[in-house]
Amino acid sequence: MKFLVSLAWKNLSRYKRRTVITMIAIAFGISMYIWIDGFLLGMEKESERNLLWYETGVAEIMEAGYWKDIAYFPLKDSFKVSPKLIKTIEDKGFSWTKRTAFISEMFDENGSLPVIVYGIDTKRDEEVFKLKETIVKGKYLEPNEYGVLVGEWLAEDLSIKVGDVVTVRTRTRLGAYQAVDLEVKGILNCPNPKVNKGTAFIPLSVADREMEMDGRVTEVALGLPEWTSQEARLIPLTKEIEKSFPLLVVKNWRDLAKDFVAVSEGKRGGTSVLLFLIFIIAAVGISNTMLMAVYERIREIGMMRAMGMKDSSIRLAFLLEAGGIGFLGSLIGVALGAFFTFFMVRYGLDYSGILGRMDIGYRVTGIFRAAWDIKAMIVAFFFGVIVSMLVAFIPAHRALKMEITECLRYQ
Amino acid sequence: MVKVSNITKDYMVGKMVVNALRGVTMEIGSGEFLSIAGPSGSGKTTLLNLIGCLDKSSAGEIFIDNEPVSEKSKKELALLRRKKIGFVFQSFNLIPVLSAFENVSFPLSLLGVNDKELKERTMALLDEVGLGGLENRFPSELSGGQQQRVAIARALIKGPSLVLADEPTANLDSKTGSDILKLMENLNTKHKATFVFSTHDPMVMDFARRLILIHDGRIVDEKTMRRLK
Repeated sequence: MKFLVSLAWKNLSRYKRRTVITMIAIAFGISMYIWIDGFLLGMEKESERNLLWYETGVAEIMEAGYWKDIAYFPLKDSFKVSPKLIKTIEDKGFSWTKRTAFISEMFDENGSLPVIVYGIDTKRDEEVFKLKETIVKGKYLEPNEYGVLVGEWLAEDLSIKVGDVVTVRTRTRLGAYQAVDLEVKGILNCPNPKVNKGTAFIPLSVADREMEMDGRVTEVALGLPEWTSQEARLIPLTKEIEKSFPLLVVKNWRDLAKDFVAVSEGKRGGTSVLLFLIFIIAAVGISNTMLMAVYERIREIGMMRAMGMKDSSIRLAFLLEAGGIGFLGSLIGVALGAFFTFFMVRYGLDYSGILGRMDIGYRVTGIFRAAWDIKAMIVAFFFGVIVSMLVAFIPAHRALKMEITECLRYQ
Repeated sequence: MVKVSNITKDYMVGKMVVNALRGVTMEIGSGEFLSIAGPSGSGKTTLLNLIGCLDKSSAGEIFIDNEPVSEKSKKELALLRRKKIGFVFQSFNLIPVLSAFENVSFPLSLLGVNDKELKERTMALLDEVGLGGLENRFPSELSGGQQQRVAIARALIKGPSLVLADEPTANLDSKTGSDILKLMENLNTKHKATFVFSTHDPMVMDFARRLILIHDGRIVDEKTMRRLK
């Protein structure tokens, strides 16, 4: 074995240029994989955070009927939050805040836009969401005031600024048309584009009064102080709610942000195809290199077989040689991928100039940052080595099928 | 040592059957220095390949140390070659990325000889073939004659009972070829290994102690030579 490893290693230097080109192809494939994977993972993680902090919380409790028609924000399926429900939530270690969401049309003197308005508990909302931290102009809402917080993009679209008055037209829980004048108190620049683009926030008490909610809300958003084990911690709470409050359901952020989950999975699928193509390029590269290496050495193979070297040993020598190219290529690829990822994690790429306000499904804006995916790096490394060895198998096998005398005569 | 009994070898060239050997019978004794001579296409290489267990005959039998080789599997034949038969090729067939030392020790690596013994035996044989001090050179840094010396050392390193050399001097000038033959002769005497080499060169034939002439796949003559040293 020692001899085979030594022979394979020395053979790597036999056709330096070809070896280097193949290594570059593999390194390119691996580094692209690591870079894109880290980039997508970063986008997903940031999107997840921006969903949790600004849009959905860890989960929401709502009426089953509301969940069924959630796309229409059916206020008739709202509910009153009982002390028993609050106790159940708090006993399981979750923070909470009440919200009422409804669809409206927001007017100013220049025109109107459809907007989702959330009535928020101005004192409790910070327990779950981080909207307050994103205010770039004006101030946060006071309880009971007829004020509104709007996203920066929405403010630009409606050409409104702090102090302006906008009219929100909607239908109340009981079906009456309603128009409410609200003063713009603050403008948010939220990293979640959905919030930035088409969402407004008003005090829950104002929403309750103007929407004829009579103390009802559409949802209770839940938060957790830590990021880990969210889904595991939701299980006992969900069971408890289902048991004690049969009309209510608990929906986690993945259920609530199905558009993001679908886009994320779709893009992952598309990227997998791209990555597969990159690996095909690398595989074809090494396959070509090994094919040439084997055919240029057929007489040598004949000599080794004549000397009594086992076919399996000769095959192994070629596999080790290909594995050596794969090893070096993968090593360089992982190093390059890590280098690119490092910069993407630390500094990110500012896409705001290119994408503007384009909705790409992810809940990220401006600078896109990557995340470290050590598992993907390890997988890519071994994949590079193993694929290299596998593609060398065929030409080596073909050469070994030739008769020894045929090999020795081969020109 | 080797007994060849009425062997034939037929090849298909397109749809034509070529009779490369047509009933060859011969015996090679232990320690012989034998040349199989004949013009191109006479069947010399085919005969050597069959004796060296690199190919299978169409009919007839070859016995090596009284054992018929036709019944052996590929693996058994590989083992036989690994232990008992050394090869010297016309174009040397050295591994270019290995040094002279590594090329010579290659058969010992196949036999799993330990590093210490491998080094001692290889260095001793390199000295013997006149390549002492050149052990770290690669084939590209050696002359044709030196490369063939490496190939001879490689054939002999495992102590084979039979060394087969297919036109070992064909790629060498006459002076170098003569030196190589003298070396082979000395090694034959010293190591008691049987040497069988093919040639069509009369000068090379003169070195043999026994000469078998082959033509159109048949043995046409056999001579015992008495060369003056």
